[in-house]
Amino acid sequence: MYGGDEVSAIVIDVGSYSCKAGYAGDDTPKAVFPSVVGSIEQTEDTDDPKPDKEADSASDSKNGAKPMDVDKAKTKHKLYVGQELDFRRDHMEVISPMKDGTVTDWDIVDNIWNHAFRRRLLINPEEHPMLIAEPSTNTAQQREKAAELMFENYKVPALFLAKNAVLTSFASGRATSLVVDSGGGSTVVSAVHDGFVLQKSVATSPVGGEFLTDCMMKSLESKGVVIRPRYSFKKKEISPGEYKIVDLDLPNTTESYRLYCMRAIASDIKESVCRVPDTAFDEVAYANVPTTSYELPDGQTIEVGADRFKVPDILFNPSLSQTIPGIDGFADSTSVRGIQRMVIDSINKCDVDIRKELFSNILLSGGSSSILQLKERLEKEVLEESPQAARVKVMASGNSVERRFSVWIGGSILASLGSFQQMWFSKAEYEEHGVSYIQRKCP
Amino acid sequence: MDAKDILGLPKTPFSSSQEKKSRPPKEPQRKPDGVSREVYALTGGVGMAPLMPTIEASHLKRRPAAEKEKVAWQWLPFKSSARTDNLQLYHWVSVVNGIQPTGDYQFAKYNKDWSKEETDQLFELCERFDLRFIVIADRFPTARSVEDLKSRYYSASQTLLIHRARSFEDVSGNPLVKDTYDAAHETERKRALSALLSQTKQQERKDAETLADAKRIMESRAASKNVDEAVMPPSSDNAMVPVDGVSPSSSTHPSLAHPNTTANTLIPNSLRTLRVYLRTHALDQMVQAVGASAGLRVIKRVDQTLQELGVNLKPKVPTKAVCIEHIELRNELLTLLNLQKQLQTKEAEVSANRESSFTEAPSTPKRSKRDIDRPFIHDTIGFTGERAGKRDHKRKTTGRFIDAPPSPPQSKRPRKLKGSD
Repeated sequence: MYGGDEVSAIVIDVGSYSCKAGYAGDDTPKAVFPSVVGSIEQTEDTDDPKPDKEADSASDSKNGAKPMDVDKAKTKHKLYVGQELDFRRDHMEVISPMKDGTVTDWDIVDNIWNHAFRRRLLINPEEHPMLIAEPSTNTAQQREKAAELMFENYKVPALFLAKNAVLTSFASGRATSLVVDSGGGSTVVSAVHDGFVLQKSVATSPVGGEFLTDCMMKSLESKGVVIRPRYSFKKKEISPGEYKIVDLDLPNTTESYRLYCMRAIASDIKESVCRVPDTAFDEVAYANVPTTSYELPDGQTIEVGADRFKVPDILFNPSLSQTIPGIDGFADSTSVRGIQRMVIDSINKCDVDIRKELFSNILLSGGSSSILQLKERLEKEVLEESPQAARVKVMASGNSVERRFSVWIGGSILASLGSFQQMWFSKAEYEEHGVSYIQRKCP
Repeated sequence: MDAKDILGLPKTPFSSSQEKKSRPPKEPQRKPDGVSREVYALTGGVGMAPLMPTIEASHLKRRPAAEKEKVAWQWLPFKSSARTDNLQLYHWVSVVNGIQPTGDYQFAKYNKDWSKEETDQLFELCERFDLRFIVIADRFPTARSVEDLKSRYYSASQTLLIHRARSFEDVSGNPLVKDTYDAAHETERKRALSALLSQTKQQERKDAETLADAKRIMESRAASKNVDEAVMPPSSDNAMVPVDGVSPSSSTHPSLAHPNTTANTLIPNSLRTLRVYLRTHALDQMVQAVGASAGLRVIKRVDQTLQELGVNLKPKVPTKAVCIEHIELRNELLTLLNLQKQLQTKEAEVSANRESSFTEAPSTPKRSKRDIDRPFIHDTIGFTGERAGKRDHKRKTTGRFIDAPPSPPQSKRPRKLKGSD
């Protein structure tokens, strides 16, 4: 068909919000689940969680952190991955393995991979070459750790690490492009030239889908809207067709789980009503904008007005988030730039000869890129500050599913190409040259 | 007296009590002691601003506390990677919050020589990335420009090829040997390209706006001039003095017969649209325009006269000033020839009339009327001050003859009527 060869490779992309896994050659990943895990601490002597001790040691700073006298290495954690998270459990903390786009807890990542292979895809990893999507700013150390984990724990026959931006670029059929990946945890802008990421051009911003969800949540809270997590209420029928909300008291639910559930609802609100404004957001101008109604799971209907436009505009103007009460300032507020600024800066850091091509091949990918009117607004903003001689074109696949999974789809295309099959880093090579050989094999 | 003036004190002696009160506030305005009174008055006296900016003591006290980061300066050793030996020199380094700056000596990049390790790394990367120099430059451990890497690679490959070949002729056809990489040219080209690309759309828009503004201002200026000249009536069809070869073609031309715009009037309409044109070409067109109203014979006679006067038919050095003068000369010649012709015809008529009966009386008042008319028409036609003067002179000489021709026809008519009776 397109020079394809069915080797039944597996493509796995662990993002900061969700994990995508599936067979190479497919057009969408079969397994998509959140990349956070629920963790219940269990002490060595007993399997049952001791309420007091757990509450103390696992509590968030809300109750004041009590000193942990239990050595972390000794305590076992029972981890719940994927759909197991949907069920509320006492003392279950929600932990993310990523911070700022890079992996900090390999144990959790190991669990996620395991869940993906054995529970979701139902495969034996020893039989399938693995293509892993890695962040564009991944360090050598992280890559070596990933390779080691794969070869030692899962005993895969072959491995390849490909950068997210490159895969997105391949998914759209281009070897050179500027990839704007607006995902859950962060927004990353990177230039790809001839299938290689130009590392000096990579720009990141902590403003991602999760941050926008938080902004939406805090904004609604400040307006007096109470978002009830799904587990915290029950609908009781008082008369046929009429329901009453009964609040359930579940004191052992952790704060992180509560936040996790609230974020899920706020995220849905964001995805349903938000739109990027055509010009920069202005409090005064949007004060009287008509509101959209949204029904929360507990039945109450809320009206969302200016927030519809304010929250997405934070991508273009991060300082807007500071006007929302409850949102903390950025760690390094001077370096946090709007997405249009990152695009221009990124292109200007590249060699002069390729700039024109980059301007006319700006690709949007990631879950947050599905916000309505994002493509048009970004094109307009970049056009303002782009050179007159260059043509600016922002491309995004029409299908929002494709945008969300464009990294995975690129991996699927790459791993199924006949000409790619000689590029795998095999187990034999790993045993012969060691793990550092991966730097050479996977550029 | 003067001292009181300088001091700004009241001149009357009765205000001595006021003096004491007013003196202290006026104290700062007194002249300084080291300078003599006259000298001080020369410098502008009392109204001078201080030469030095005043430093307020409060500023001096405030500033040291405002520093947030602790910047200490230390005398530290450094090595430059541009050197082949291990020379260690010392210099002052600002140490911020106890952290020393890391990295290569910042000026090393200007003197970078290629070490064997660097060259090896370069060749390895070239093989890995298939000579994609942009990617290689991105991944290269030390900061080197794309042109630098290319230049090193191509020169090294060329040298290797030449030395490994058995004879030079074998490899002289090889593109690596035939063409050398010109790093300077590439750097210049990239600099020019980046300059082109750095002109953003906003700047383009601003430039366009400024140009449009400038154009509008120019046009409004020309329009105001047009208004001034529209007051004067358009040039007469009288072939006597075609002032401007262009004027028959456009009587409402803004620069019609204005003394200051002589230079502009001489640019034919067809050439006005061009920004650059050959003066000789323009001159030819202007000459043609001048001679358009006259016949071929007249043009020939103008040329003939020019030759008699010793003037070249086409100026040897056609600068703007020369061309203007040449055109004017031609115009004058045309006028002269026309006048001469008219003179001849009038003289012929006069001599014809002299043979017939003489009734001049009725024509005398008409003559005076004609005298009044003539100056008016002449003034409109004169195009420089001095030329107008000359024309007046001509008018005086020919006026008598001009008056003569109309009278015979006038006298003829009564005769005819008489004849009919």
